[in-house]
Amino acid sequence: MIKLISGGLKKINFLAYIILMPFSIIMLIPLLLLISTALKSLPELMNVDFNWIPKEIIFSNFSKAMSVAPFGRYYINTIIVVLMILSVQVVTISLAAYAFARLKFRGRDLLFILFLVQLMIPPQSIVVPNYHTLSSLKLLNTKIAIGVVYFASAYGTFLMRQAFKAIPMEMEDSVKMDGGGGLTAILHIFLPLAKPSLIAFALVSLSYHWNEFFWPLIVTDTVTARTLTVGLAMLTQATESSPEWTLTMAATIIVIFPLLLAFVIFQRKFIQSFMHSGIKG
Amino acid sequence: MGGKLFSVSLGNKFKPFLYLFPAAFFLLIFTYYPIFRAIYISLFHWSTDYPKKVFAGLQNYFDILREPLFWKVVKNTFLYSISTIFVSMSLGLLLAIQVNKGIKLGGFFKVSLFYPTMIPMAAAGLIWLWIYAPSYGLLDNFFRQVGLPNMGLLLNANTALWCVVVTAIWKHVGYYMILFLAGLQNIPDALIDVATIEGAGNWRKFRSVTFPLISSYTFFIFIINIVNSLQSVDLIYIMTQGKPAHASKLIVYYIYQQAFRYWNMGMGSTLTTMLALFLLCCVVLIFSTIGRKVYYEV
Repeated sequence: MIKLISGGLKKINFLAYIILMPFSIIMLIPLLLLISTALKSLPELMNVDFNWIPKEIIFSNFSKAMSVAPFGRYYINTIIVVLMILSVQVVTISLAAYAFARLKFRGRDLLFILFLVQLMIPPQSIVVPNYHTLSSLKLLNTKIAIGVVYFASAYGTFLMRQAFKAIPMEMEDSVKMDGGGGLTAILHIFLPLAKPSLIAFALVSLSYHWNEFFWPLIVTDTVTARTLTVGLAMLTQATESSPEWTLTMAATIIVIFPLLLAFVIFQRKFIQSFMHSGIKG
Repeated sequence: MGGKLFSVSLGNKFKPFLYLFPAAFFLLIFTYYPIFRAIYISLFHWSTDYPKKVFAGLQNYFDILREPLFWKVVKNTFLYSISTIFVSMSLGLLLAIQVNKGIKLGGFFKVSLFYPTMIPMAAAGLIWLWIYAPSYGLLDNFFRQVGLPNMGLLLNANTALWCVVVTAIWKHVGYYMILFLAGLQNIPDALIDVATIEGAGNWRKFRSVTFPLISSYTFFIFIINIVNSLQSVDLIYIMTQGKPAHASKLIVYYIYQQAFRYWNMGMGSTLTTMLALFLLCCVVLIFSTIGRKVYYEV
């Protein structure tokens, strides 16, 4: 009997490997191609005989990419933008989530749905009117312009509201007994207890905005505000003919490296956060 | 009990709105105001032909509805979203069930399937542009090795859109796998316990507890992601610019072209209005049906 069960179990696991192995390899091919191309010389690449491992491994593509475009500047811009967005978001979503989770007022459910509308209409769809708004505010081509449309996050509000609702009333009451108001409760009870949700939101927000492309592309047109992804696209579109692939792939690695490295190191945390997060945003 | 006492005794009707104000302020300016502004501008001719806005009534709408390219773009957009999300979610569920079996190398599988989520769409587009590159690219190299002619699939009007779909699936599938893993692992123990006490067997538990809980959640995610995917633009910008012969043009790219390439703000706003109104209808539909259920369940 026991033998039979373990035999069945093995069969099931065997099936899992048969599905997962080839699929994982297919998924990894683009990454391997990216690395292989970035380490090749252009003459070797143009050789029709394709090979995965370069005959001669070179690193000059990276230095060349760094000299062709100001990636250092793009890095600084991107870091400023994502941190600015996250810090403002934490304030706006904590306050709003507290109101939705704990306060009773007329029209609360309707207002909550009006908040969630933002999940469905992200900035890239209303880029034309938003471009005009930022233009009349004289904010075009600034880092603020990239961030400001994300300062309120429906997704973050939703996530924090769920977390706040799960916190027992008694904990909040104890703060109020001591004469503290809502703000004190948020700072000392809600945010510390909702830390897992907050971290999940922070990781999702940071990676989403690090990777964001279209909106920064529309509102920036010089290096002063451009982020990494926009800089990368500009680099490849500078040449009219087909891109110099060795250079392009090296630049791509420069852009994706930090987040990918962080992901590999903090794999568990990242995956947990995305698991926790439900909807993207 | 105590909480109620305090909120009543404070009696401050405006207090909740003070908490909501910062978020509501940005929502109003960058989500709601733009919709009304788009509606307003859509009533004008405003382009390089009309450097000063000229009132046009609903003319822009009549023009766009008579434009065959518009309908082609609409069709492309739905084809793209539905196929991308359907395939990535089905594959994601299949993979999640396998990974959830607690096999060896589970960590490796999770990382190798999920890492594309961590890569910008723009970078993913570039990598796949190189894969699809005519004759030198990986795909044409592969075709040559198995004795097939060079295809240049991305340059072919019949296949270009599907090339982008494949890229999008590669980008999304790991994300859905993780979502489903969460769904499989997050079913409240209490519900399973109740079913056990009631004497339900394993299959019965799956059918009556696990599956209904996952499926309403799944359907909710499915709809929201289709709606989000209708607004994809990064891959198109990087990989095809809507070419060849508009075969891979999607709605947001079309809006971008009208507004920022041809500087036809009237038409750009008309398309924006139509998209926004369509999305709002989706919101109303979702929250009046399945969303309400999920909202109270979660």
